[in-house]
Amino acid sequence: MTPGQQNVLETQHITKRFGHLVANDDISILLKKGEILAILGENGAGKTTLMNILFGLYRPTSGSIKLQGVDVNFRSPREAIAAGLGMVHQHFMLVPPLTVTQNIILGQEPVKNGHILYDKAKKEVQELSRRFGLEIDPDAPVMDLPVGLQQRVEILKALYRKASVLILDEPTAVLSPREVEELFEVLKKLAANGTSIIIITHKLEEALSIANRVYVLRRGKLVAEMDATRATPQELANQMVGRPVVLSVEKPTPTSRDTAPILKLEKLCVRSQRGLPALVNVDLSVHRGEILGIAGVEGNGQDELCKAVIGLCGIESGSIRYKDKDISHWNSRRRIEAGVGYIPEDRHTSGLVLPFTLSENLILGKSDRPPLCRHGILNKREIDSNATKLMQQYDVRAERPSTTVSTLSGGNQQKVVVAREFSRNPDFLLISQPTRGLDVGAIEYIYKKINELKVQGVGILLISMELEEIFAIADRIAVLHKGEVVFESLAQATSQTEVGEYMFRGKLARRAQ
Amino acid sequence: MIVLHVLALLLAVAGSVLYLASYFEGGLLLIGALVLEGFAQRKKLGKAAFTQQVKGLAQKSLVPVVGIVVALVIGAIIMALTGYDPVKAYEALFYGGLIKNWHVTVLNAVPLIFTGLAITFAFQGGLFNIGAEGQYYIGVIVSTWLGLTLSPSLPSWFGIVLIYLAAMLAGALLNVIPALLKVNTGAHEVVTTMMLAYTVRTLSPLFIRAFGGDPKTSSHPLATDAIKDRFWLPLFQSILPEAIYRLHIGILLAIVAAFVTRYILRSTNLGYKIRALGYNPKAARTYGIPVGWMTTTALLISGALAAMAGATQVLGLDHRMFQDLNAGYGWNGISIALLAQNNPVAIIFTALLWGALDAGGQYMARVTHTPNAIIEIIKGIILFLLLSESLYEQLKKHGFWKRWGRRRASRKQKEVAA
Amino acid sequence: MNGALLQLFTPQLFEAMVRLATPVTFAALAAVICERSGVTNIAMEGVMLVGAFFAAWVGWLAGNPWIGMLGGVAGSMLFSLLFAWAVVSLHFNHVVAGAIMNILAFGITRYLMMICFGRQGTSESLPRTLQDYKFAIPVLSKIPYVGPALFNQTPLVYLSIISVIVLSWVLLRTRFGLSINAAGEHPMALETLGRSVYKIRYSAVLLSGLFCGLAGAFLSIENSNSFTEGMTDGRGFIALAANIAGAWKPGGVFIASLFFGFVDALQLRAQSLGLLSLPSEVFLAFPYVATIIAVAGLVRRSRPPAALGEDFRIEGESET
Repeated sequence: MTPGQQNVLETQHITKRFGHLVANDDISILLKKGEILAILGENGAGKTTLMNILFGLYRPTSGSIKLQGVDVNFRSPREAIAAGLGMVHQHFMLVPPLTVTQNIILGQEPVKNGHILYDKAKKEVQELSRRFGLEIDPDAPVMDLPVGLQQRVEILKALYRKASVLILDEPTAVLSPREVEELFEVLKKLAANGTSIIIITHKLEEALSIANRVYVLRRGKLVAEMDATRATPQELANQMVGRPVVLSVEKPTPTSRDTAPILKLEKLCVRSQRGLPALVNVDLSVHRGEILGIAGVEGNGQDELCKAVIGLCGIESGSIRYKDKDISHWNSRRRIEAGVGYIPEDRHTSGLVLPFTLSENLILGKSDRPPLCRHGILNKREIDSNATKLMQQYDVRAERPSTTVSTLSGGNQQKVVVAREFSRNPDFLLISQPTRGLDVGAIEYIYKKINELKVQGVGILLISMELEEIFAIADRIAVLHKGEVVFESLAQATSQTEVGEYMFRGKLARRAQ
Repeated sequence: MIVLHVLALLLAVAGSVLYLASYFEGGLLLIGALVLEGFAQRKKLGKAAFTQQVKGLAQKSLVPVVGIVVALVIGAIIMALTGYDPVKAYEALFYGGLIKNWHVTVLNAVPLIFTGLAITFAFQGGLFNIGAEGQYYIGVIVSTWLGLTLSPSLPSWFGIVLIYLAAMLAGALLNVIPALLKVNTGAHEVVTTMMLAYTVRTLSPLFIRAFGGDPKTSSHPLATDAIKDRFWLPLFQSILPEAIYRLHIGILLAIVAAFVTRYILRSTNLGYKIRALGYNPKAARTYGIPVGWMTTTALLISGALAAMAGATQVLGLDHRMFQDLNAGYGWNGISIALLAQNNPVAIIFTALLWGALDAGGQYMARVTHTPNAIIEIIKGIILFLLLSESLYEQLKKHGFWKRWGRRRASRKQKEVAA
Repeated sequence: MNGALLQLFTPQLFEAMVRLATPVTFAALAAVICERSGVTNIAMEGVMLVGAFFAAWVGWLAGNPWIGMLGGVAGSMLFSLLFAWAVVSLHFNHVVAGAIMNILAFGITRYLMMICFGRQGTSESLPRTLQDYKFAIPVLSKIPYVGPALFNQTPLVYLSIISVIVLSWVLLRTRFGLSINAAGEHPMALETLGRSVYKIRYSAVLLSGLFCGLAGAFLSIENSNSFTEGMTDGRGFIALAANIAGAWKPGGVFIASLFFGFVDALQLRAQSLGLLSLPSEVFLAFPYVATIIAVAGLVRRSRPPAALGEDFRIEGESET
């Protein structure tokens, strides 16, 4: 598949500012007809911002865009779509209760005498689906489809609108290796047909395997452009990060393990909110002074595992034992008082009360006890000094304890949660996705703190979807796939590849020799 | 230093009490208190920080003042367009509300403060207790009933306290069903409290007939008999002889209630948990705050506060229950709570504002024959303007003058310039 | 006792049920369309009241109730435009904006009462009302019990039933309906597909104003012949409950409204029969109590639109 010579899409000196933050800084890229272009960069490098500008969701602070050689200025996605751009978003723009067909035709429905011709639409969808090898059931409600199929609907949406330029934002983030292969086949076919494609991703190997050319974005700037056939992964990685990088966090050896684990899950079965089985016969143990890392693709039961361990959802069968007591029916309050700490996945919705001050957030879950509270009355002085002390200990950069938490950066907000939970002196800590959306400095700091706790003898259950993270700090690794533990091993005894196999293929993965 | 603060506090209290009783000289004391407090702050913060704080306060109070002025202007335009003289009307409004009938303003503000507190308390827990009016009525009913039936051998103050407690209990109990429904089924409290309010209002004539308002036997079919006078709230007149005879000390109770509410919300564990729940129920639940209990507690306390409004009206002013109860305390309570941005102490002031509008409006209607419904319209406009943060932001950016008709152009300008 | 029951459940009762359900049906349809697009609406009470006033006033001025009906609808749609502006463009909290609308409605109708009729309380009576245009559909109205109830009614009652069917069709089969569903479940998806969520929500709110106007017109110029202050009497909130009970679907909402109409009709009839020697006020309270029971029992089953009550903003409006 050799791309043509003409420039289908061109950006010239695009800059985008959000207040003081410069998300895109003087970016000029071009896309040739029939070519597959990859835009690489870490989280926060500015890739999604650039794509949103292309698609008309944002307006650039300065700079211009040319489509087929003509200057364009999209004021809304409608104009971008009309000009032939299609976008497959990272977080799908699908309306869950509506069917596949409805989602695909939304905005451009075939109509006669006022009503939608659903039969005609369905036929068109089936046609498209056949033509591009994207099998799908047109009448299924989107919310019942697995993630891979939902993505197909997104792609079909763009094809239905006869997109000549297709932009995909992190398309492989939630796909299994086989689904990724299938996707790439489709993309190659589309490109051969004349569709020009841009893929935004942070996965090097994938970018190199599918793209013709690669751009690298770092902190909002364009730092490299390479031909995919001539670039090496190491070169690209260095460009993406700006320095030769390996997260250099020393992993202390686990302290001596008691034979009795501090947390033991036995044949745990939990149903999801919608009533489907989410955890199936899960057996796990965490010992004092060790970190057990749970790896897995999003949506395989991690959510329910968290909720079950902290006490926010009921269990169907099985038991949870903590310090050798059956706590299966304890509520979260009792568990926290018994020495369980929890760092939730989403600090904004579950970890912090954003309109509260630092002082107020730092006593969440502790506000019942002296010295912070006596006879129901809060002791402001104690609370503030508690905050000052913790701010210093955990390097929270804020003006004063009465600063509202919503004004802090993501890294500092997470440090607040960490400070609060760690200062409970927990015996057991449940951590989920601790470093999502944080910069490298904050990540290193949090790993350091977690290791400190481990050395003190705290048992830690870490749930993460980033394999690098798991391997960086976990002593033992278990993989969750469709609610079952399909693999368990010491971290030293396995590799990222092996764990990845189990993550995506579950029980079907063969054990590496 | 402490001396300055204490002195300022004493002056403030004395000044307020006097001013409320229409002894307008009390205003001088208030000004004195303000000056002293300003002095003390200046010493504490230093000149620069102090001036900055003053500037900040001035800026913040600019918005509500401007909003009220604009609303009055729009009201004037409406009046002019429909054939009434806005100047005369406003003269009467200000004079009536703030000077001649200031005591009416204060009397109006009393139940408003209590219902405003009720709404605020619920709001802090994330709940819209729009049916506060029903809890008000229940307070009226219970206090009238006890006021009529309690033994006259009870000491006055004991009886009054008992009546208040009973009213508060009744108000809280009225909210039990909405609370249970909300916690167990998620039923929206707007509907349940509202329906209970209508129910209570519809059933209230039964009570009136039972206690003296029976058209067959009574000369006052639309009201019950008067409650025993030993249970009436003391009047200002007993200590300040020039005060209007109807002014009762309920306003002082209301002010105390406002401060107590503020204290509960800001300084107690209960208040903390309720606020956490209101801002982020998920985080609250995760860290062990019992959502069901807190929701229920917030609604019950809210009901109790609204019922106190009713009790105060009966014990202080009406001394009986009237049939025509559509006093709109539910909606007015919501209004002043929203305007006060759910700050219990600010409620005192917004309640006085609303009370002044009502009192002045009545005076205006009597003297200039302008229908006092225009006051309701003005209130609505004030709410609209003051609660629109976005409107204010846009005005700030585009400047007052560009606002009319050139929004699109200036938005484009802004993009290019940014 | 048996005789008493028979006395109670007469054809007149069912006729009254359908008739009294009408304003709740209209207001509940208003809630359906508004909330399906993502806008929480507690202002139906106020918008209805405004509609009732304008219907009476315009009808009285023109001497013609049909023109009055149009006037009522125009008035309430204009009033809802304010609500739409507040909620969509100014990003007001939906419940707060609804409360303000209710407050304004009471003030406006009282003020206009004085201006237009020179007095407070009740307006002048209309010489002709829509009651005069009652007509029976030939064959169908002869069916026992159901016949007179459904097919021998006044115009707005018919219109309410037609509206249920039409709205159902619109939501299921038209572009506009699909867009409304999307706007209430995942507005960003709709926006990225090129349809303006703002425009859809404005339209939905205006349409809900139209329905509330019809509800108000029914109250003042069909079920009666004048406007009385506060004549909506809580029906806007009952409609809110009907909407929830009907799971945000026109058909379900209609059934819920019929239930309230039934309770309403029942209390009138039971009162006049002197059944159960209870004072009249107890009967008057039936509808409100029934609403609470309905809400208690039915809420758990229905799922509101996912984005209901959430503010929707597109970038470019609020630069930081």
